[in-house]
Amino acid sequence: MNDTTPSLPLPPGTPPLVQLKGIAKYFPGVIANHDVDLDVMPGEIHALLGENGAGKSTLMNILTGIYRPNAGEIIIDGYAKEFASPLDAIAAGIGMVHQHFKLVQAFTVAENIHLGWDKTPKRASAQKLEARTAELAAKFNLQVRPGARINELSTGEQQRVEILRVLAREARVLILDEPTAVLTPAEARELFKALREFRNRGNAVIFISHKLDEVLEISDRITILRGGRKIATEQAADCNPRSLAKQMVGRDIVLADMRQRPVGAAPISKDPVLRLDTVSALGETGLSALHGVTLDVFAGEIIGIAGVAGNGQRELSQVLTGIRAPSSGQILIDGKPVAHANAAEFVEMGIGHIPEDRLHSGLAPALSVTVNAVMREYKKPPVTTAGLYRPGAATTLAKDIAEVADVAVPDFGMPIRNLSGGNQQRLVARREMRIASKVLVAAYPSRGLDVGAINTMLKYIVELRDAGAGIVLISEELEELLNLSDRIAVLYEGKIMGVIDNDKVDIDEIGLLMGGRQQTKEVA
Amino acid sequence: MLSGLRLQRLPSAHPGIALGARVAAIFLALLLASIVLEISGAAPLELGIQVISATFGSTYGIEDLCLLLIPLLMTGLAVAVGQQIGAWNIGAEGQFYAGAFSATAIGLFVPGPEILILPLMFIAGAVGGMIWILVPTLARAYAGVNELITTLLLNFVAALMVYYVSTGPWRDRVGMSNSATPRVKAEIPEFWGLVHWGLPLGVLMAIGFALVLSYSKWGYEVRLSGSNPSAAKYAGIPVRRHIITVMLLSGMVAGIAGMFEIAGTVHRLQGGISNNFGYLGIMVAVLARNSCVGVIFSAALMALILNAGIILQTQGLTTSAVLAITGLILFLTAIGDELAHYRITRIKI
Repeated sequence: MNDTTPSLPLPPGTPPLVQLKGIAKYFPGVIANHDVDLDVMPGEIHALLGENGAGKSTLMNILTGIYRPNAGEIIIDGYAKEFASPLDAIAAGIGMVHQHFKLVQAFTVAENIHLGWDKTPKRASAQKLEARTAELAAKFNLQVRPGARINELSTGEQQRVEILRVLAREARVLILDEPTAVLTPAEARELFKALREFRNRGNAVIFISHKLDEVLEISDRITILRGGRKIATEQAADCNPRSLAKQMVGRDIVLADMRQRPVGAAPISKDPVLRLDTVSALGETGLSALHGVTLDVFAGEIIGIAGVAGNGQRELSQVLTGIRAPSSGQILIDGKPVAHANAAEFVEMGIGHIPEDRLHSGLAPALSVTVNAVMREYKKPPVTTAGLYRPGAATTLAKDIAEVADVAVPDFGMPIRNLSGGNQQRLVARREMRIASKVLVAAYPSRGLDVGAINTMLKYIVELRDAGAGIVLISEELEELLNLSDRIAVLYEGKIMGVIDNDKVDIDEIGLLMGGRQQTKEVA
Repeated sequence: MLSGLRLQRLPSAHPGIALGARVAAIFLALLLASIVLEISGAAPLELGIQVISATFGSTYGIEDLCLLLIPLLMTGLAVAVGQQIGAWNIGAEGQFYAGAFSATAIGLFVPGPEILILPLMFIAGAVGGMIWILVPTLARAYAGVNELITTLLLNFVAALMVYYVSTGPWRDRVGMSNSATPRVKAEIPEFWGLVHWGLPLGVLMAIGFALVLSYSKWGYEVRLSGSNPSAAKYAGIPVRRHIITVMLLSGMVAGIAGMFEIAGTVHRLQGGISNNFGYLGIMVAVLARNSCVGVIFSAALMALILNAGIILQTQGLTTSAVLAITGLILFLTAIGDELAHYRITRIKI
C-alpha cells in the first residue's frame, strides 16, 4: 500500500476517497469482476486501463450503484457503503460521464443541468435556471452556453455539459468513460485542463480508456484490469506504453508502422479502381451531408479518412458501397460510371464494407450466426441453387468464415448477438474480405475492440491491401491512420479538406483540417 | 443469501425448458381458476371433466373444436406472416371481414356451377383481404406510417360495412332473419364429419410458408429484412418490395380465413361473423412466437380454450369468468416464457 503517493501532499492516515475491496460480479457464464481491489486517493487522476471485456465498465457500474456486487465492499472516505441505486452513489459524491451522453437533445443546457436534481428550485423561470447554470459554470471553470439547446452543441461542448451536471451535484469522484473518443485533439486538451483543475481541488478522477498515450499523459496512477481481475496498480511515471500494453493483454503487442509491403505484394495501381467525382449526398435527416467530394481509391493502397465522427463519414461509406445514392456527381468503378447505386451490384463488383455500427447495419443480431455469415453470398451457389436456399450449405460456409476469422462458435444456429463484440467484428471483417476483391470500405474497424483484436483487424486489412484491393479506412484514431494509410484525406462537415501523403504528414496540420481550419472555434 | 446459488439469465431459452414452462403455466392457470371456482361454490373438477368429455367424448365435440380451429389457424398465420417482415398486422379482423364480404358477393350474385364458383370465391376472399391491407401496406412501405394504427382502424370500417350490407341491401328477404344474407349456395366439401377442407388447407398453408421462409432465397431476404432492415439494405436487399409482398400475403391469408368461414362453416354473411378471430389470431401468433408451424399448435390451444369457454357458459359460468380464465392462461404463459430464460447455477470460484 506504499505506492499511494498522489500529486497532492496528503496528511498521513488520509483514507482513500474510494476504496473497493474484493469486488466480484458474475454474469451468466462470465466472470465480469473477481476479487478486484482499487483505491483512489483524493487529489489524483486514476486511470482504469483494460481491454474490452476486462471488467472496467462493470466495476464502474458497481461503483455508481447500477449493479450490485456479488461480493466485496465499497468504502467511501473510510466508511463502508451499500449503493441500492445510482441515487445513493450520487449522494455519496460519485458521478459518471458515460461514453454516450445522456442529455435531452431538445432541452437547453440549463434545463439538462437541472433535470432530475433535488436542488432544482421549484417553479423557476428559464432565466433563473440559466443564471444558476452560468454561476455553476463559472464555479467549476467549464465554459457552457446555458441557453443553447443540446442539439446545437458540438460533442466537446456536450461533454462539458455532462461534466458540469455531475459536478453540480457535488461529485468528488468523477468517472469518465472513454471521454476523448469523440473529441478533436484541441477539445481533448481542454478536457485535460479541466480535469487537472478538478483534481487540484482535492477531488479524484477515474479515467477509463484504452488509449495508452493519453492515459500516460493525464493520470497519476494506473490500474490495469484483465479478464475481470486486477493485474496491477502502477505510478504513471514508472510506465511506458509498451509495458502497459503488455500488462493489458498479457503479451507483447506491436502497434507499429504497417505500411511496408512484403515481397510479392500487389503494387499500387496507376488508375483508380473507385472514384468519386464531385459527389454530394443527403444524410438521414434529408440535409446535405457530403459536398462535392472527389476521391480516388487505387488498388493496393490504403487511403485513410480522418475526421471527427459525424462529419459525413457514414454517408461517405454508404455512397462508396452503393447503399446511398449521391444527390449529384458521379461514382466510377474501373473508370466506368455507375448508373444508379445498388448495394447488391456493388457487392457483385467486389466492393466490401465493414460498417461503422456492425450491430445496427452489418448484422441482424437476433438471427443465427449462419444467416449473418452468408449475408454476402446467399444468392450464389452453393448456398442458393435454383432458387432454393440450402441451410446446410450455408452453415458449411459460415463454418469456413468462422475458421479463418479464428472465432469459436459453439452453435451456428444461435443468435449472433450472443458472440462478443470482437468476435462479431472479426466475422464481419472476414465475410467482407471474401468478397472485397476490388475495394474494402472499413469504417472504424477497431472501434470498441481491445488492443489484441485491433491488431488482428489491422493485419486483416494489410493482408487485403497486399492482395491488391483498395482500402478506404475511416477512423478517428490518428495513430491507426498514420500506421496504415498511404494517403490521408480529412473530412470536415462533409467536405474533403485535403489529401495528404503519409510521408509528408504533419499531425498538427491534420488536427487543423479536422477542426475545419478554425482552431478558435471554442465558444463561450 | 443462498450460498453459491445464483439466478442467471440466458440470452435464449432452451426449447425443452420453454415447452415445460408453458405446460406448467397452463397447469398453474387451471389450478388457480379451480381454486377461485371452488371458493365461489362451483365444482371445478366436475366442470373440467365435463369440458373434456364434451370436447373429446364425442365426434361432435371434436368437430366443433376443429371448426373453431380453422379460422384461428388462418388468422394466426396471417399475423405470423406479417411478423416475418416486422409488421404487426392488427387488422386480420378487418381483412377477415373483407374476405368474407367479397366471397359472399361472388356466392350470392355470380351464377354458375359450384366447381367454378368455389375457386372464384376463394380468389375473391384472398383479393378482398389484400385490398383491405393495401393502404396500410403502401403507407408503411413508402411513408413509414406505423401499420398498427392503420390496420386497426380499418377493422371498424370493415365490421360496419359487413353489418350494413347484411342488414341492409343484401339481407335475406325470404327467411325470418333480417340480420344476415341469404344462404350462399356454394359450399366447401366436408373433409371429415362436419369439418371442411379448410382444416387441411390451413395446415398446408402454415407448413408451406414455413418451408418457403426457411428454404428459399426470398425467405432468407424476408427474414433478414424483418429482423434488421438496415442490415438488409446494407446487403442490397429490396426491403420495401418485401414489405409490400409480405404484408399483402398476410392480408391474403386473413381474407382466405373469412372466405372459408362463409363457404365452409356459417354460409351466410352476418354482422360479427369474425367472432374476434382476427384479434385472437394476434394471440395465436404471439403464443407461437411467430413461427408458422407453431401457429398450428397455438391455434389448437386457443380453439380448445374457446371451446371450453362455450361449454362452461352452458354450465352457468358467465362470459367474464371464462374470459378471465383465458386471460390467466395467456398471462402465466408470458411469465413462463420469461422465466424459461433463467437457470439456477452454483458459482464456482
